[in-house]
Amino acid sequence: MFTYIVRRLLYSIPVLIITSFLIFMFVSASGDPLNQVRQIPRVSQKTIDNIIERKHLEEPLIVQYGYWVKDAVTNQFGTSLLSDEPILPDIRRVLGNTMQLVIMAEIISAILALLIGVVSAVRQYSVFDYAATSLSFLGFSTPVFWLALLLQILFVTIYLKTGTRVFFTGGLSSPNPSNFWIDRLQHLALPTITLVILSVAQYSRYVRASMLEVVNSDYVRTARAKGVRESRVVMKHALRNAMIPFVTVLALDFGGLLGGVIATETVFSLDGMGRYLIANLSERDVYPLMAWLMVTAVIVIAFNLLADILYGILDPRIRYD
Amino acid sequence: MGAREPILSLRDLQVEFNTDDGVVRAVDRVSYDIYPGETLGVVGESGSGKSVTVMSILGLIPQPPGRIVGGEALFRGVDLLKVSKPELRRIRGKDVAMIFQDPMTSLNPVFRVGEQIGEALRVHDPELDDDGTRTKSIDLLKLVGVPNAEARHDSYPHEYSGGMRQRAMIAMAIANQPSLLIADEPTTALDVTVQAQILEVLKTAQKETHAATILITHDLGLIAEIADRVVVMYAGHVVETGDVETIFHTPRHPYTLGLMNSLPRVEADERWLKPIPGQPPSMINVPPGCPFHPRCELRQGRDICRQETPLLESIESSDHLARCHFKDELRGTASKFAEDQEVAS
Repeated sequence: MFTYIVRRLLYSIPVLIITSFLIFMFVSASGDPLNQVRQIPRVSQKTIDNIIERKHLEEPLIVQYGYWVKDAVTNQFGTSLLSDEPILPDIRRVLGNTMQLVIMAEIISAILALLIGVVSAVRQYSVFDYAATSLSFLGFSTPVFWLALLLQILFVTIYLKTGTRVFFTGGLSSPNPSNFWIDRLQHLALPTITLVILSVAQYSRYVRASMLEVVNSDYVRTARAKGVRESRVVMKHALRNAMIPFVTVLALDFGGLLGGVIATETVFSLDGMGRYLIANLSERDVYPLMAWLMVTAVIVIAFNLLADILYGILDPRIRYD
Repeated sequence: MGAREPILSLRDLQVEFNTDDGVVRAVDRVSYDIYPGETLGVVGESGSGKSVTVMSILGLIPQPPGRIVGGEALFRGVDLLKVSKPELRRIRGKDVAMIFQDPMTSLNPVFRVGEQIGEALRVHDPELDDDGTRTKSIDLLKLVGVPNAEARHDSYPHEYSGGMRQRAMIAMAIANQPSLLIADEPTTALDVTVQAQILEVLKTAQKETHAATILITHDLGLIAEIADRVVVMYAGHVVETGDVETIFHTPRHPYTLGLMNSLPRVEADERWLKPIPGQPPSMINVPPGCPFHPRCELRQGRDICRQETPLLESIESSDHLARCHFKDELRGTASKFAEDQEVAS
């Protein structure tokens, strides 16, 4: 297992080098990075010349790539077009915010999905099962921005009617909160609920399907024939097997979500990875975009590895050698 | 034999399954007894209801779609169909244990084999500590002939061969010294050479536990080898029952006779197998009257076979029962199997 992890980590190095090259080439091919800047009247030619010199835009692409990589490694991804501040601290900040949201939402989603999925599968075709699958279908088909807006309207109305702030409908913090973390939770609650509703809809079906696959299997019958109590048959013998595909999906999904939940973060004006991407896209600033792409690529690679490792831990039939 | 009390007595057991195409009566008024220490062979084609019968008395058929419609399953005088779920759970794996057909899928792939045997012990003896469980599990593995049992105790099922897994299943089944062992096609999924080994293990297990054994199989060779008495099932019915000699030599049901005559014989110079003509009936549309009548050579167009379901009635001895209107016409008919034996002796 250890050598497998080391080997996989070593494999990721060429993958990342190729990724960085592709990112740089594709983004550069998308147009002149200075197009947008040139249209801003207050930006002087001198400033533009300055950027060209600083970013080596006169040099051939491959040389520019070299400078970019050097900046990325030694200089916190360099600066954006118009600022002198390095990019990495910004990304660190928004990634941290997205992480708070995603970790909370994914943990709640996983727990709820396990509960709903297991009960659904064990009582297949019961009223609960029909209710759960119908609701999950509804959750599946709900557009995320619409759900987010609806929650905002609901809690704004509650505030206006009762005068108490249950949850905030935007941002991450109040100016002078009495308790930082309670305030943060009040801000993160609605985006979390939005994500949870969507994820539970998806995951509970997943858990239900994998439980159904194992709950009538021969080895579950063996456990029953031994006289094992039904709750233990389900929670130990069946669930342990059903968890294998679910945990893998969860880990992969988690990595994907850390790249940002664009719609949710935008509606709730949450200073996260998704909004960072959208903001820099609209400004056509390629340097933060490339940094974002690189960081996301690292996360996706890391969580793929994590998924594979978890798979090996959960399923003794998988051997890494 | 009649004087002894049966350990398990099935009376008119009826089990149905709801399917998309209609209700399937998988087990139709099945009655048979098994006595302490004996081995009862239950034979029949796939779908004849032999497995469903035993699964249903242990509450192991999925309900729904399965449904036990009626009958009794008296185990030491207690009706297993009526006892509470916790009560039935205490009997399962302790007094009545089961060995399943497919050892490849019957062990849980994510737990160590020893752990799974240990669980069978602990479920019925919560006092047992970790060390005691381990020692007992290893002893059981040794008993069923798993080599290097200490090390194999901690292996996962996928690290076992098919024969080894079935040994482990047998170890699990005899862990609590059951008084009734149900082996549901224990050798069907195995290689022929491994089958012989497993049969030996099964005999060892019987000797160790003195358990009465119900052996469900369609392998008549296995029956001849190990069974004392035989129950023959067809389309959810018991069509004939008797001791193994009688069933093999002088069967009185045309289906049993067909089965015996279909056995390929080493001695005889036959070019073709002799199958029973036709197919087993669809369980949704079981033929009226005697379910075997469309395939029966004895019927010869007689209407009663199509109109009335014959009863399971005794023939000369009270132990030999057959369900056929014209069973007396088979009097004096010996199976080819019997002829061979005479030739051989």
